[in-house]
Formats: sequence, C-alpha cells, structure tokens
Amino acid sequence: MHPTIQRSPWRIQRDVIHALLIREMKTRFGKWRLGYAWVLLEPAMHIMVLATIFSLLGREFYPGIPTLLFMLGGIAPFIFFSSSFGKGVAAVESNRGLFNYRQLRPFDAVLSRVLLEFAIYVFSLVTLLGILAWFGVVAEFNDFLLLVVVNLLFFGFCFGVSLTMCVVGTKFPEASKFAPMIVRPLYFISGVFFSLEQVPQEYHGYLSWNPLLHMIELTREGLFASYHGMFANLPYLATSSLAMLAFGLLVYRSQWRDLVRSQ
Amino acid sequence: MIELRNLTKSFRTPAGRKVLFRDVNAIFPEGKNIGILGRNGAGKSTLLKLMGGIDYPDSGAVITDQRISWPMGLSGGFQGSMTGRENAAFICGIHGIWGAEKRKVLDRVQEFAEIGSYFDAPVKTYSSGMRSRLAFGLSISVDFDYYLVDEVMSVGDAHFKHKCEQVIAEKRKTSNFIIVAHSMATLKKNCDVGIYLGPSGLQIFDTVQEAIDLYQAGVPKPAQGTPAQPASKV
Repeated sequence: MHPTIQRSPWRIQRDVIHALLIREMKTRFGKWRLGYAWVLLEPAMHIMVLATIFSLLGREFYPGIPTLLFMLGGIAPFIFFSSSFGKGVAAVESNRGLFNYRQLRPFDAVLSRVLLEFAIYVFSLVTLLGILAWFGVVAEFNDFLLLVVVNLLFFGFCFGVSLTMCVVGTKFPEASKFAPMIVRPLYFISGVFFSLEQVPQEYHGYLSWNPLLHMIELTREGLFASYHGMFANLPYLATSSLAMLAFGLLVYRSQWRDLVRSQ
Repeated sequence: MIELRNLTKSFRTPAGRKVLFRDVNAIFPEGKNIGILGRNGAGKSTLLKLMGGIDYPDSGAVITDQRISWPMGLSGGFQGSMTGRENAAFICGIHGIWGAEKRKVLDRVQEFAEIGSYFDAPVKTYSSGMRSRLAFGLSISVDFDYYLVDEVMSVGDAHFKHKCEQVIAEKRKTSNFIIVAHSMATLKKNCDVGIYLGPSGLQIFDTVQEAIDLYQAGVPKPAQGTPAQPASKV
C-alpha cells in the first residue's frame, strides 16, 4: 500500500500539533451556530458586560483611556490565563482516547490547547481593538515591541501553568473542584479591572508579587500611551515566566508516564 | 526486532497489587507473528499495549526500532462531534499524511468501511458496527511494520469478518502481526510465536501450538521453574 516514511522527532511533533490544532478548532467551534465567530463573541460578551457595569458607575476609570479599552486590556489576557489553567486540568481526562496513538502524549494535548487559546486571545484582542476604534473608542497606541515581548513571556508562563495543572489535575482529580477557587480570586487581585495605582499604597507590596498583575499592567502600558504602569516590572515578569515554564516542564517530565500508564 | 527487557507490570486491586508478569526478558526477531493467549483479565491487552508503546511498565522497557501500529480497530480516539472523514483526516495528520496522499487514504478508508455517505456524518450517529468498520479501515490504511490486533476479528457481520481476514492475509506479506484472540483458529492461522499468560506468569513458546495446548489444558505445566523463557532462539 503506501508507506509512512520514518519521520524525524521534530517532524512528528509538528504533525501531531498541526493535526491536534485542526481537531480542537473543529470540536470547539464546529458544533455551534455561528461557528468560528465564537472566537470573538466569547471574550467580547465578557468584556461588554464588565465594561457596561463600570461605565454605569459613571466615572472615568483611568484618565485618558476609555473604560472599554481599559477593561479589554485586562480581561483578554486574563481569559487566556484562566482557560490555559482550566484546559490543563482537563487535558488528560478529556483526551484519554487519543493516547492510544503512541506519538500523542499529554504534552501535545496541552501544547496544542494553549497554542489555540493564545491564538484566540491575540486575534480577539486585535479584532476587538479594531472594532472599538471603528466606533471611535480609541486611545493612543504606545509600544508594539513591548507587547510582543510581554506576550511571548506570557505564553511561556501559561504553558508552564497548564503543564503543571495537567499533572496535578490527573494525579489528584479533586483538583478540578479547586481550580475555579484559585482562578477566581486571582481575577480580583490581578488588576483586571483596576490599576495598581488605584489601590491604597500599603497593599502594593503584596499585590506586586503576582506575575499576572505585571502581565496585565505591561499589556496596558504597551497598548496605551497614557497608561503609566508604574509598578510594572518587565524583568520580574520575565524571571517568573521562565521559572514557571521550567517548573512546568520539569514536573511534566518527571511524571508524564504516570499520566498515561494504567495503574 | 522487539525486545522485552526486565518487563514488570502490576495493577492495583482492592486486595493489593496483582502482578501480571515480573522481569520478563524476550527477543522477538523480525518476521515473526506473535499470538497472545490467556484467560480474561490475565493481562493480554495490557501486554499488547506495552509492546505498542501506549502503556508503560512498572519497570523495564520495550525496545524496538519497528513502527508499531495502534491497536487495530480501536475507535476510542474518535471525536463524536466530528465526521468520519474529519476523524480519519486527524489520524492521517498525526501519522504525517497530508495533502493528496491524505485524500487517497480517505478514499480508501471510505471504500473499505462501506459506510457510504455516512462518512461525512458525525461519528456519534454511527452504529457500533459502522464505528468499528471505520476504525478497522483506518488501521489498515496506514503502513506499519507491526500491527496490533486486539480481538477485532470478532466484530462486524460475516461479510465484514471475511473482508478483514482477506486484508490481514494480504498485509501479512509485508508486515507482522501481534494478535490477542480467543479464537484458536485465528491464532493458528496467523501466528508463529505464542505467548501464554497463565497463573504462573508469562510463558513464551516457539510455536503458537504449544501455547494453545497449554491454554486449552487449562492448567499450568508443573515444575516450570522460571515463568518466562527467552524466545531468542525462534
């Protein structure tokens, strides 16, 4: 019949991720009406609800930046983080059947999901900024390079988190119950709908330990010229992201056989 | 060549660990079809999966330079909301088959599975027979050195069974099979080497007939010192 040639490990990895990405796209959006439009609708709805609430409170949130944009800069990255977190927890259980193909391991399931989430995040952020600009909600743009660097680091951070959660969620299935309890408080302390400047001084020391806060502050700083991410610290974000990525990879490497093995 | 080196596998049960086999050493040279028999729960499928690199042993290793298939006829990897074609395309993808080559494979799968226009319907609407036909069609469309067969010959109607046997006979010219089955006729026809998983652990025989005799006798041979014999002579 026809041969499957011997492939290099790199080629196998690429084939697997490619196939998984197509599969994820099909299963995530294929079954609904409007299909791929949900890539945008999901974060858009989220942002609109929050932005409306805060707009109704009737104050300008941050001088020089429309409330909608301010929220967008916080919510979009946070959605990426929280879905990476959640997808990691469920990565093994929901893909059990796939591990019957020997080249497909939990690592691939996690990587493809985080990649897809990242693509969705970037795409929805850019498109929503475009749409809002169309309607006249604009703020002066600041620094593209900063955004690129910050987001690459953020990707590494979320991948590390996702790998760690993949191991934790499989070894301790109870973790899936606790996952929302961890993510939800983070929502409130990561500066999604405030800036660190707006928080009383005495809490700064505690809040600034959170890498997510730095991530969001730096994203806003990259996006908006009038934003002063006074406490945002790029070296801190870089260090914590690389540490998180290394930690995730190590945890996965030490445990991966146990994830698939029958016990 | 497939080498089992110090292979140990056990399962957790409510009554403590159940050891399926301990410190098995064996070498299966190329060109040998392997039949695995044993009673239900003896660990046949587990051994098959270990050899296929899908499951992992407690200690030891399976060492091979061969391309080994996934268990043939397996439909667990199908995503219900995707169509048969999309599922098949996914399997092609992870095996590095894209583009024109992929379309050729898909056509062949569709033809073999005889599911007609259902090929473009979501897999969750399939009957179990259709699922296994699709899965079997997929397995034989990707080329491997070793195919793992776990009781697939027992699914499907008479017509389909006949077709499977034909395909396996055809495939045996270029590839090898590792077969788990309860049908002695299938094993006799397709296998050279026999592995018997019995109460005394794993035993390897140079001919499948010896394993069948032991299995049918229903009792382990007395005075069998070591549970596993090296099969390097075969």
